Order: sequence, then C-alpha cells, then structure tokens
Amino acid sequence: MKQFYRNWIGILSLLLLVSSQTVVFAQTKTISGKVTDEKDQTSLPGVTVTVKGTTKRAGTDGDGNYRLADVSITDILVFSYIGYSSKEVSASSANGTILNVVLSTDATNLNEVVVVGYGTQKRSDITGAVASVDKKRLESLPNTNFAQALQASIPGLSIDQNAGGAEGNNYTIRIRGRNSITAETAPLIILDGVPYNGSISDINPPDIESIDVLKDISAAGIYGSRGANGVILVTSKKGARGKPVISYDGFYGLQNIANLPPTLTAEEFYNFKQTREPGSITLTEQAVYDSKNFPDWLGLTTRQGSKSQHTLGVSGGGESSRYYLSTTYLDIKGIAENDNFKRLSSRLNLESNVKEWLSLGTNTQLSYNNRDGLPASFDGLTGAYRFNPLTTPFNADGSLTIYPWDADRFFENPLAPTIATNDDKNYKIITNNFLDLKLPFIKGLGYRLNTGIEYTIRNQDTYFGVNTRTGLLTKGELTSVDNNNRNLLVENILNYNRTLKKHTIGVTGLYSWQEDVLRQDRVVGTGFPNDVLTYYQMNVASGILPSAGQYTGKTLISQMGRINYSYDSKYSLTLTGRRDGFSAFGNTKKYAFFPIAALAWNISNEKFLADNKFISALKLRLSYGSIGNQAVDPYSSLARLSTRSYVDGVNSAPGYVPTSLANPDLGWETTTGFNAGVDFGFLKGRIQGAFDVYSKKTRDLLLLRQISSVHGVSSVLQNIGETSNNGMELGLISTNFESAKFTWSTNATISYYRNKILDLYGDGRDDVASRYFIGQPIDVNYGLRFGGVWQTGDDFSKSPQAGAKPGYAKVIDANGSGKIETDLDRTINGSRQPDFIWGLGNNFKYRNFSFYVFMQGVQGTSRNNPLLSDAVQSRVRNNTTKKNWWTPTNPSNEFYMNSLNANLLGVGILQSDSYARLKDASISYDLPAKLLGQIKVSRLKIYANARNLFTITKWTGTDPELNTQEDIPLQREFIFGLNIGL
Amino acid sequence: MRKLNKIVIALLIVTLFHGCSKDALVENSPSVVLPENLYVNKAGFDAGINGLYDQVRRSRSGNTLGSVGAMMTGPAYVGTDNAYANWRDGLEDIYNNWGIINNAAVDHFRLEWAWLYETINAANTITTRAENPNISWSATDKNLVLAEARAIRAWSYRHLTYMWGPVPLTLTESSGSTIKTDWVRAPVSEVQAAMEADWLFAEQHLPVTSTLNGKILKGVAQHYLAELYLAQGKDAQARDMALKVTTNNNYRLVTARYGVKATQPGTPFTDMFLDGNSNRAQGNTEALWVLQAELNVIGGEPNNVMRRYWVNRYYSFTQGGRNPFLVSAEYGGRGIGRYGPTKWALGIYPAGDDRGSDFAWRFNYAINNPAGIPAGLKLGDIIQLDRTSNEKTVNANWPHTRKWDYASPVDPNVDRAYNDQVYLRSADTYLLLAEAQMKTGAPGDAATTINVLRNRAKAPTVSAAQINLDFILDERSRELFSEEERRYTLLRTGKLLERVRLYNVLARTTIADRDLLFPIPQSVIDANLTLKMPNNPGY
Repeated sequence: MKQFYRNWIGILSLLLLVSSQTVVFAQTKTISGKVTDEKDQTSLPGVTVTVKGTTKRAGTDGDGNYRLADVSITDILVFSYIGYSSKEVSASSANGTILNVVLSTDATNLNEVVVVGYGTQKRSDITGAVASVDKKRLESLPNTNFAQALQASIPGLSIDQNAGGAEGNNYTIRIRGRNSITAETAPLIILDGVPYNGSISDINPPDIESIDVLKDISAAGIYGSRGANGVILVTSKKGARGKPVISYDGFYGLQNIANLPPTLTAEEFYNFKQTREPGSITLTEQAVYDSKNFPDWLGLTTRQGSKSQHTLGVSGGGESSRYYLSTTYLDIKGIAENDNFKRLSSRLNLESNVKEWLSLGTNTQLSYNNRDGLPASFDGLTGAYRFNPLTTPFNADGSLTIYPWDADRFFENPLAPTIATNDDKNYKIITNNFLDLKLPFIKGLGYRLNTGIEYTIRNQDTYFGVNTRTGLLTKGELTSVDNNNRNLLVENILNYNRTLKKHTIGVTGLYSWQEDVLRQDRVVGTGFPNDVLTYYQMNVASGILPSAGQYTGKTLISQMGRINYSYDSKYSLTLTGRRDGFSAFGNTKKYAFFPIAALAWNISNEKFLADNKFISALKLRLSYGSIGNQAVDPYSSLARLSTRSYVDGVNSAPGYVPTSLANPDLGWETTTGFNAGVDFGFLKGRIQGAFDVYSKKTRDLLLLRQISSVHGVSSVLQNIGETSNNGMELGLISTNFESAKFTWSTNATISYYRNKILDLYGDGRDDVASRYFIGQPIDVNYGLRFGGVWQTGDDFSKSPQAGAKPGYAKVIDANGSGKIETDLDRTINGSRQPDFIWGLGNNFKYRNFSFYVFMQGVQGTSRNNPLLSDAVQSRVRNNTTKKNWWTPTNPSNEFYMNSLNANLLGVGILQSDSYARLKDASISYDLPAKLLGQIKVSRLKIYANARNLFTITKWTGTDPELNTQEDIPLQREFIFGLNIGL
Repeated sequence: MRKLNKIVIALLIVTLFHGCSKDALVENSPSVVLPENLYVNKAGFDAGINGLYDQVRRSRSGNTLGSVGAMMTGPAYVGTDNAYANWRDGLEDIYNNWGIINNAAVDHFRLEWAWLYETINAANTITTRAENPNISWSATDKNLVLAEARAIRAWSYRHLTYMWGPVPLTLTESSGSTIKTDWVRAPVSEVQAAMEADWLFAEQHLPVTSTLNGKILKGVAQHYLAELYLAQGKDAQARDMALKVTTNNNYRLVTARYGVKATQPGTPFTDMFLDGNSNRAQGNTEALWVLQAELNVIGGEPNNVMRRYWVNRYYSFTQGGRNPFLVSAEYGGRGIGRYGPTKWALGIYPAGDDRGSDFAWRFNYAINNPAGIPAGLKLGDIIQLDRTSNEKTVNANWPHTRKWDYASPVDPNVDRAYNDQVYLRSADTYLLLAEAQMKTGAPGDAATTINVLRNRAKAPTVSAAQINLDFILDERSRELFSEEERRYTLLRTGKLLERVRLYNVLARTTIADRDLLFPIPQSVIDANLTLKMPNNPGY
C-alpha cells in the first residue's frame, strides 16, 4: 500500500509541475462551419471535430455543418473522418466565427487516428508497433466473428482455426508467435476500452468499426500484464452528428464440405478386415455385406449448410448527443447434421456532452445465442470418420438404430446426438460506461471513469432418451449445466494533455481494479420414468451422479503512469511504468513493476525531406521495455485436493486426495525486449507500409514442469527457464495502378518469428519428459522416426530392428547403435513453428465493380498425421483412410502392410502441413450515385463471396489448419450480400 | 465550481482506492479444498482416508481416472500360469507376446506407477499432517487414522515392488518448493522394511471388525505381514502372523449357504461372490477387505471393470452362422472378455469341487436369442463351450469365471459394475499359512490347513505327502482364481517363468527373464534429470 501511495504522489506532483506553466483562461467564442471533400466538394457528414487536448467535440450533420461552443482562439481544432486525412486547424484562423474546412482522402495513413491504450493517438505520434486491419477485411465479407477478418491481415498475427462447425469460434490467435511455454499465449482483446473475456463469436462483426493490434511491448505494455501476448483493440461503431442514417446489411449463402479424407468403402473395408484378421467379420457385418446396402456415414452425418445474417442499424446525433443503434440476426446451419448456431444481438452506443465539463456515454451490447441441438458425432472411436461401414444406421421404420452394429454393442450410432434433446442458450451483456470530467484550474487536465461489465449466463440441458445407447444404458440421461460468468472493471484515469508551441505533452495516470468470476454448476441425473419430460424431470431422477460446483475468481489491480511527449511532430517519446498485482500468485509475489520507454522520429517532417518527391512519409520507431504475464489459472500457487469420494452402503463418504503441489513462490513471468520499426510511404502514398524487427527474452517462465510422478503429482507450475523470440514482419499497401476507371491495389503481409528455449531448470539439461529442448523451438515434433517400409530382399540380418519382416514399418536407428531403442532413438523432427506466414489481398476496381481476392498461408511446419495409421483396433472395429499399403506385389515405401504386427513400435508418419489457401474471392457492385438519387438511397452495394475455394498443401488429412483431423470439416462457402444506406 | 471540486475529490477517494485493501488479492475460493483447511480435525482426516479407499478401489478400474479402459492392476493377474489375455490390442498384447512391445514407453506403466505414488503421497500427507499439535483429537482417533493411512501406503509399495522391484521410497508429504530430480531406487529390502513397519503399526491399531463396510481390518495387516515374511524367508514369523487370522473366529470361513440366493441351487463358496452377499454385514465372515460401490450414489461410482474384463463375449459366440446368446443378467451381464483362464487353470479341479462347478464357472449357456437359433436346436437348448482346445485370443467359445458376474438393474449392457467386491478373504491367509507350515517343515499341518478349504468346497482331502510348493500354488489357483494377484504370488515363490512356460500356451515361448519385472516408465526416467535412474535389466 505504501508503495502504491508513493507512486501516486509521484504522478500527481508531476502533473502539478507541468501544469504550473498554465497562466490564464483565454477568451472563448462559438465556432461553426462546413466540412467538404477536397475532390468533389461534397459535404461530409459525420466528421468528428475535437478541440485538441480536450474532450470537447462535435460532429458534422448531414449537410457537413458543425458547431462548437467555448472555443478559445488559442485552441487547435482537429477534424477527423474515417478514410480521410485528419486535419488540425487553429481556431485563430477562423473568419470571425466561421471556419470551413476541406478534407482530402487519406493518402498517407500516418495521419489517421489510431486507438491506443486509454485513448487515441495520431499515427504519426505513435512510438510503438501498432497495426490496423485493412477495412476490406471488415466489410462485404461473410464474417461471423472478427477472427475471420483478422486472419493474415496483420503481419505478425497468426490465426489458426482449430475446429470446424457452425459457430466456428475455435481459433488459436497469437501475436508474434509465443514466448511462454505453458502460460497462456492468446492476446488480450479490448472491446471499447474494456478487456473482453468471452467467446469471439459473441462480438457482432457488423458493429465493428475498426480493429487495431498492439504488437510490441511498448504498445501492448499499456495494458500491462494482460498485454503480454499483444493486444487486439476492437472498436464498435459510433454515431455522428447529423440526420439519422439507416442502414441494412445482409447476406445469405450456402456451405459445403471443403475436403474429406478418403475412407475405405464398405467393400474395401470388408477386404481390409479379411486380410488383417481373417475370420473377424461378425455375423451382422456379413449380413450387411451380403445385402450390399451400405451406409455412407460421412454422408449421413453431413449436409449442405447455410448461413444468413441481417443487420439493421440507425446512427446519428444532435447538438450534444450521438448514437448508434443496431440489431443483427445470424442463422447458421452447419455442414454437420444438426449443428446450428443462431445469434440475435443489439447494440446501443451513446455519448452525450451533458455539460461543457462533463460528458458520459455507454457502449452496450445485448446478445442471445442459441446453440440448440447436438451435432452428429465425428471424432473418436464411435465417430462418423472411422465408423464401421458394415453396419445399419436405420431401422425398417426409419428410426435410428440404437446399436448400428448389433454384434458389437460398444458402438453408439454417430447420429444419436441428433435425436437427443438439447437446449443450449447463452445470454450476454457487455456494457462499457464512462464519464469524462474536465477538471477545473488546470487546463488540459481531465478525469475519466471507465467501467466495464461483462455478464454471461449459459444454460445447457441435454437429455438422451432410451432411443439412444447412452440413454438406454442409463434409462435416460439428463445433463444440466449452468454457467455464470462475471467480469467487472473499474478504471480511474487522469489525463493531462497540453500543446505549448511545439511541445505536446500527454500524461496518463491509471488505477484499475478488475475481477473475473466464473461459476459453474453441473448435475447429471439418470434413471427416469419415461422420456416424455426430457430435461424437465431432474426431480424424478433415480440417481444424481457427482455434480461439480465450480467457482473460480481472480483479481487484478494495476497502477500505470504514462508520459507522451512530442516535439514539433518530429520527435516523440513515451515513458510508461506499470505496477500490477495478481491474485493467483504466491503471497509475497503478487506485485511486480514493469517499465517501458519508446522513441519515434518522423523523418518526413524534417525540412530535408519536405520536398522529396519519392518519400512521402518516413518514421522510425524504437522501443524497449518489459512486461509481465500472469496468465495462469486461479489457485495455481496452492496445493489443491481433488474429490475422490467413497461409499458405505448407500451413504456417501466424501473423500479427497492431494493432486497438486503448492508453490508459494509463484510469480510473474517477465518478457523484456526491443522493437525497431519503420513506417514508410512512397510516391504520395502509393506505397505504404511498416517494417518491424523485434527481439525478446522471457524469463521466470510460468512453466508447467513435468516432474517425476514419485512426488505423487506429475507436474508443477514454476517460474523457471528462459526463452527468446526474435522476428520480423512487413506489411505493405500499394496502389499498383490507378486511373479514373480502374484501380488495382494490393495489401500484403509477411512475418516470421523464431522462438527458442534458452534455459529450463538452470542446469543446461533438456526436459525430455515435457519435450522441451534447450536451443530448440518450443513445440517440436519428437519421437521415433519412420524410415519407410522394409522390403523383400533387405538384409534383415543387419537390421537394427528385431523381428522386422518385409512390409513392416522401418524405424530409423537414429543413434546408429545397431538396435532400435525406444528411448535413445527418439529425435527432434521439425516443429510446429512456421518458417513464415503470409497474407495477400488484391483489389481490382473497375467503375463501380470491385473484385477482391485474398490468399493466406503458413509455410514450414510439420506434424504427425494421425490419419496415416491403421488405428482400427483389434478385430478391425473401425474404418480407416485409404493408403498405399505395402503388399508383396506392391512394394510401397509409403505405408507398411496391412497387418497387426507391421508397426509394433507405433511409429508415426510426419507430414508437412504448410498450406496456401484462397480464403476469399468476392465481387461487388456499387450502384452509381445517379441511380441512387433516383431511388432515394444513399448507398447500395451487392456482392458475392466465395470462401475457402481451394487450398494447396501436401497434407493428406482433412485440413492442415484443423487440430483434429477427424472432426467436423472446414466448409466452403458461397455468399450473396446486400448493403443499403438510407 | 467548488461543488464540482468536492464531487471530484469524493469520486477520486471512493473509486481510486476501491478494492485496495490488504487482502484484495488474497485468494479465497469456496470451491477449492486445500490441505490447510481439510486436515484440521478428525472429520477432515476421515475425508482423506476416504480418498485413499477410492484410490485402492481404482486398482480394479480403468487406468485413467473415470475410465473403463485397461484395468489398472491387470498386469498382476494376466500373463501368468492361470490367466491369459483373450484379446489382442494394446496392453493385452503384452500379456501374451511380451518382447519388444513390453517397453518403457507403454502408457499403462506410467499411469499405474503415477496412481500408486499418488496414493502414497495422499497417505504421506495424512501421516505428516496428523503430527500437527493444533489438532484436537484423542490418541485412539489419531492412531486409527494413521493405521489406515499407513496400511494403504504399504499396500501401494507392495504393488510397486512386485511390479518394478527396487523403487524410490518416500514417506513424507511432497512439497512444491522441493522438487526432486535425483530419486534413487531403494533396494527392495529397504522398501519392505518400511512396509513392515507400516503394517505392524496398523496391526496394532486397526480394529478386528468394523460397523462400516469397506474398512481395512486388522486381519488385512496380519495377512500382508504373513505374505511379506514369506517373501523374506521368515517362515515361522509368517506362520504365526497367518495364524492370527485363521484362528480368529471373526474371520471364520463361510461353510454354509447364506444370503440372497441361499434357497436356490448353489454352493457356500460361490455365495460369497453374489451381489448382496459380499460384505461381512451380509454374512460373509471370511471377508477381510471389501471394495464398496453403489449405483446412483455420490462416491458409489467405482468404474469397476472386473465383470467387463473377466466375463467373456458370449454374445459373439457363433454356431451355424448364428449368435444364439444375447446379453443377459443371468449370463453375468455384458463382459468383453479381455482376460480368460488358461486351459490349465480350467483343468485342475477334482470332481465334486465346488470351486470348479457350474456355479463358479460358466461352461455353457442356454439359447436365449430367438433370432439366433442354430439349425436343429430350439430356444432354451444348452450349448456347451469348448474346453478341450488350447487357449487362444479373441475366442468367444471359452469358459469364464462367474466370480464377477454382475448386471446393472438398468440394463445388462452397462459397462460398469456396481456390486461390492471381496478384495481379500481369509481363505487366502489359510493358503499363506499352509505355505509357511510347509516351509517350516510341517507338511501335515499344511495339509490340515488346506483341507479346511477343501472340505468347505467338497473337494477330496489331501495328505501331507501331497504337499509341496507347486501343489500349494495349484490350490491357490483353484481357490483364488482371478482374486489373488497371481503374478505377485508367482514372483514371491520364484515360480513365474517356470509355471508360465509350463501352463500358458501363448506366453510360454514369448516370456523372457527380463519380463519378471516391468520397465520403469520412460517419463519417470526422463524426469530424473540430475541422476540417471537405471531401468530394469533388459529394457
């Protein structure tokens, strides 16, 4: 606490010192005027006019007019509008009280306003590595969550879709690779200034105005510990002063399976089974085989999907208030049978200048998700991919069979989940409410109270009746799960912003408190009188199985001070100090302090470049600092016991067993590093871009270390080890060709990173048990290596592999010892770390037609392909993928023979999962202004889009991007859309 | 403006320091149980003991928590002289084929090892924390808690030493601040000394009987001490300890029909294995330790796989292109026949021996599938299983023991078994006694002891002249098939390789000297960073 006061006193006295230069209040007047477009002199509605360094602002109305009261003649007015260069005009240049302004379209994006932590900054003043998402990725694409817009559109940001499905919200998002080995590596998402914890599919994409990504330590460090993995700032649309604008955006489309690996047909399976284990065909399989009536399990469990979304929005504003109101309905029927996702969301963003010194507002979203219905089962032993094709899906009356393979009742019908009764509703409120005060006596001093509440309720009820195997064996199984998730944020921010001649100074002080609480109650009941009441009959369950009541809470307290100083828009300096405290750390290790410094030099603002025809913008950035990562689960530092209850007769006997070890010294993981970047614009902004290099070291890793299970526990979370992560990234936007009728522009990103484990336990030893190797990337492929197939005629007497025969999998004797040793012959075989990742968008515009193509890819990764193994179980109970099996007449070196003994050591086959994908191809048409006038519409656009059209890869699984190769596949989509503005 | 000032100052004071009290960051979760708040009184220690019992029960569950996959202590029963794996997949392959697939990377070894040390650490936590002077409890209460914890700790080391030989010995609670990377495999004698101390303490403080089912009793400690002394060659001590059990009237053998099917055809011997008969309170005086389970009760889920693994797949039996048998409760529920008796084990019963009767073994079934009646037969006709060919894998036409028959009242296809099961009974102690008597030069006494069992089973009695180690091992199989951890018995008597080569048709050519001990799991060797932990010879 003492430390805390000391920090605050420091910040406050600094503020006083700076502000003592303030003299008197100047004379004020009301200024009004009109804002027009430089090119066609049309009026611009919705331009934001701000008095620089204050919260005083106004917007232009439908005719481009604005009005601002209480403007001092020493004030600078800032005119900003999306897609246009911001312009700063001194109030003194007004003609009396009239100040008309002409804005030009954005040639160099260095002038745009970028959202940074706790405020906005002009791009030219920014010292950190901040990138904004190309607007084309946000508009006229059938995105149902923002990750789809982000993929490959920012250099250094990697997004991998882990799983398919209607909702499609399972992504791994990483900024600049990973520094941590086991701690969380996902970036922090800030929605309208408030940390967002929910699912990415709960933020409605049509409401998103912009997405900015803070990449380096100096930019992300503003958010302290939670920004250790970078920050994604999502800003929702705001209203602007003027007549109400009504808009409709909608699309409808179809979804089909992008790719499925070939599995054996029923007849091929029959032969495969006979070859592998003669006599293992059961009677019911033989009956199906004889009937030639074969089920196509993947066909039965998939369908043509569809996707539609409709958004209706109204925005506008009056003298003192602005609003944005929208409602979106999204309806997806996924390509997996019974996989549905519906979302209804409404947003109200409102801001009001109540008094000249007081403004307040809200950004609020209410949403309702409906995930009713369980999709068919794809994964695992009883999933559709590997389901035995010599089985019967339907009874004679058309109902599903309970046991599709009557001779082997282990197997549930993969379609069984589709007839379970499932209710899955999610209700969420995300509300950010703020208040801005202009404090008296000290000019430029403001206070902001920012609060955030995110509250989610999810109720899931599932009932499996006796018409399914699950329900039959339990006489009805009811699972009821209630999730209750609450995140609260209170931020107190003091801001001081002044411009004195060529000096601009901004000081920010922050005190924030944040609490996340998750509560889950889960009850499973079995044994019901009948199926009629489905999930409304827990009261008559004959048995309630162990029900989990889970509660986790974590608290984060932060104090931050930041100074931004810039001289003449040429030199900028940012100094940040942040002290964070986190509840899940050990008692003496809860708090840590992280300092950051950053510099920028706007070379293009120097005189010697002022008239340069080639260079239109050039800025150097340099930053250095440290940041902490606290991303561990609550109670990680405590020795927790697991419930292991016993029973005596019919009486429960509650029991516990220690399953984790305490670590009272658990504390912050710290990353220190530098970033050097250059932002450039050539040929009047025809080519623009940013290039960054960075180098980071992370120490005191929050490492889930594998320990000897002799401890009674097999892993413990410790602060040990060190990693490095270096990388480079380049983003380019170029206008390749431009004429009155035709424009061709390109947006390209490419990046790479190299992480490496520098140390683990301080003794230079690898941790083989955890697959951590010093000097190697974090996620390597490690194991025995497949070396092809033993062939007839090979010299088996010299074979290191005892018992090898022609057709068997060859294991490489990596250490050359002359025999295969399952421990010593394991080697590192590539890693999951890509050589580079890239994205390339091309936009062709001819008159009112646009054609947009976006490709993205990952290069240089490999992993074990689980489909390259005959995992059919003993007695061939599962189907498998088609392979080039070795036979005496087919001396394949690709895949070993179809035999129980061909791969006794279980060696896996590695494959490259690099890929290049045509992610989006779309064509759009904007109705010309002449026609728009006739139908009294201000904007009308129609478009068509194809997503995941094709993928180039050597990977033979379902998709290189998916984690699980045997789950719902990725879909290919064809979408038609319409945007209308009134 | 002055008013505004006040508002601002008030706001600052209220909000800036909100939540900044000293304990704002102290964790306090109502749903997390910590040792500091559990082991503070008798009730807390009792909960710790209950956890230990659940750990013991997991010996007959799947090897991952909550699963019904590979049985945790499967290696203790199968791949011996009297049991083989009637399946071939993963772990089961090892029991028949040994060789290269029995290696340190096999996941089962990692899981079983970790489960045993998890149990040991749970017991160590109790024994360490019981010494906290702030706990107010009577010396009796404390000693009882210590006795149960120590008995189960020794029980865990018993498994470890038979599975892996020398293993690290740890007797104190593990701590996150002292992670060891230099574990040393203690000699078996050292581990046995610790086991002996634990069991002697337990023997002193455990009750002879308990009103609670499932509690570990004094007789259990005495039984394991007798077994340990036999392993150490202390035959007289073994004899004296075993006598404490066999002469205790509380542990008398079941010699008459009793319980749920007392009026139906059956035998006293098989009555003990019926659902509803296994507990002492239900009349099973012979039971020393009974594993508890209960359908639809919290804590009652044992994930028990004994029925699943021992009962064969009679529903896969085919004759004339038909499946004549359907899964039924009468036939023992749905087993998946992973384990089966060797042909030898089926053939060692003298005529009239209850233990080899139709009540103890399933040798035939009546046709109960109307859609699967083979030509020339009718519903209800009896089909005899083949007992004359050698054991082979994936054979539905093969008898199985009925000791683990159980069908859920909900559906006979249910995977898990919910019957209480006898884990240890005094008949086993009788056989230890006979072994000790034989070794101390009193084969007559040994014959007398064995005849107690044989009389109960209506088997012909034996004379002193017939007594030798192999006879006793045969008798153990007759009495305790699928109950005793057969591998441990054969290892203790030095007979494993010899008898597997004699009696196990599948494993006789594949088992090798090194297979006497299993490989230390690779992950344990890998995690011993600062001191190389040697694996067992041959791995």
